[in-house]
Amino acid sequence: MSTDSQLKELALHDISVRFGGLTALDNVSLRVAPGRIVGVIGPNGAGKTTLFNVICGFVQPTSGSLTLDGRPWRPRPHHLSRLGIARTLQGVGQFAGMTVLENVMVGARHRHAESEALAALERCGVDRYASAYPGALPYAIRKRIELARALVAKPRILMLDEPAGGLDADEIAWLGALIKATGTTVLLVEHHMDLVMSVCDEILVLDFGKPIALGSPEEISADPKVTEAYLGAAA
Amino acid sequence: MSEFIYLTFDGLSRGLVYAAFALALVLIWRAARIVNFAQGAMAVSAVYVAYSVTNATGSYWLGFAAALLAGLALGVTVERVVMRFVDHSSPLNGVVVALGLVLILQGVLGIVYGNEFLPFSTPFSRDAFEVGGVAMLSRYDLFVIAAVGSVVIALTLLFTRTAIGLRMRAAAFAPDVSRLLGVSVGGMLTLGWALAAAVGSLAGILVVPTELGVHPTAMDVVFVSAFAAAVVGGLDSPIGAVVGGLIVGVLLSYVSGYIDVTVAPMAVLALLVVVLLGRPGGLFSSSKARVA
Repeated sequence: MSTDSQLKELALHDISVRFGGLTALDNVSLRVAPGRIVGVIGPNGAGKTTLFNVICGFVQPTSGSLTLDGRPWRPRPHHLSRLGIARTLQGVGQFAGMTVLENVMVGARHRHAESEALAALERCGVDRYASAYPGALPYAIRKRIELARALVAKPRILMLDEPAGGLDADEIAWLGALIKATGTTVLLVEHHMDLVMSVCDEILVLDFGKPIALGSPEEISADPKVTEAYLGAAA
Repeated sequence: MSEFIYLTFDGLSRGLVYAAFALALVLIWRAARIVNFAQGAMAVSAVYVAYSVTNATGSYWLGFAAALLAGLALGVTVERVVMRFVDHSSPLNGVVVALGLVLILQGVLGIVYGNEFLPFSTPFSRDAFEVGGVAMLSRYDLFVIAAVGSVVIALTLLFTRTAIGLRMRAAAFAPDVSRLLGVSVGGMLTLGWALAAAVGSLAGILVVPTELGVHPTAMDVVFVSAFAAAVVGGLDSPIGAVVGGLIVGVLLSYVSGYIDVTVAPMAVLALLVVVLLGRPGGLFSSSKARVA
């Protein structure tokens, strides 16, 4: 999908986010190298979506900084698409009053928006729903449409926020193959461990906003701190 | 029968003006969730610009074009300078600011132009053609139909066939999601206000010359009818605004013709009550009725 020269390196340096007395992220650093698939996992409330919101500019970090291709970067939501960064949302977030095709066309950044949107829908196996309205479609189909809307912009960094939520085993296998086939930099927040372990090159584990482990899937699955965070100290 | 035909055509012609004005209200409601109570004062400001340009140049058409441009500029100014800074946590804030704008605009217009009705003529005859002895439409009515029809077609094409229209719709549906997809939500909002104000100005310049003349409050009664049209159609629906405008126009024409012109405003309010009781979201609204 993207050539190496188009890929971007994204890095977070000591990012902290506090909401009043609650620390949502506590000194999180992460380097997402071009072409790598990096997973962010952790129990509910670990700060995974907050991390995504910082990268998207929806949440300003209390301290710390971000760099894109080594240069200081202050993200703004409506600049992401221009920079080649696309994000899917946990809650799907489609425009209910617009057809599936129109939903995907909004994400297109090229002149031939309609043909590119149809190609993205076809790639995600949902092109037959192009003229339907998303509200009437099953959740798993809407997840695929959300993915098509992110892919239509031909992103250099693809941020996937729980893309496997609500999908069955076959659909998750399809999703894993699609993520690998994108060939682009991917940042993946996901609870479904089989998917994370099978597609990610590197995994960051958060617990109550703190980074407790960073490594390959093998290193993470063997790390007792990760087991403790998921299953409790008694495990 | 001939009276019925004449009143129907007269009502449809007048209804198209209400439809254009209602469309302006719907455009802003869809984009910003504000009922723009300043739409009438903004439109009449543009009509005063047309009046000045026409008087200075002797050309109605230069005045007409100036009114549309003034409407666009006023829409951009109101959104960028005033509405953007309103706290939108409560829908009432935008309404109160819009009402404040009415007072300011009407006050300034009164100071600059005075509070007398100023004469402003139509570019075509308002005498109705007769077909088989039955009065139908005038040349001016045909002009109104062509002008409003062109605007409705242009807006439909804009929203359904262009990338910018698609983005305007997306920004109105879900601003945060739209931002993630690269849509400049602020820019779309400004464009929405500009288009709405221009459409409102068109309605103003079409209707004011058919009434008593140009006056700071010349659009107040039109606003009430157009607001009723927008609510009857459903504030979210451009098609509803057009149909609502035609319904209100024909209703006003029948009541004025068959009963009395003084009863007409009450008929509009009665229509509003009936529609709100039966279908609170309006005839073309897809949203569910409020139950509490």
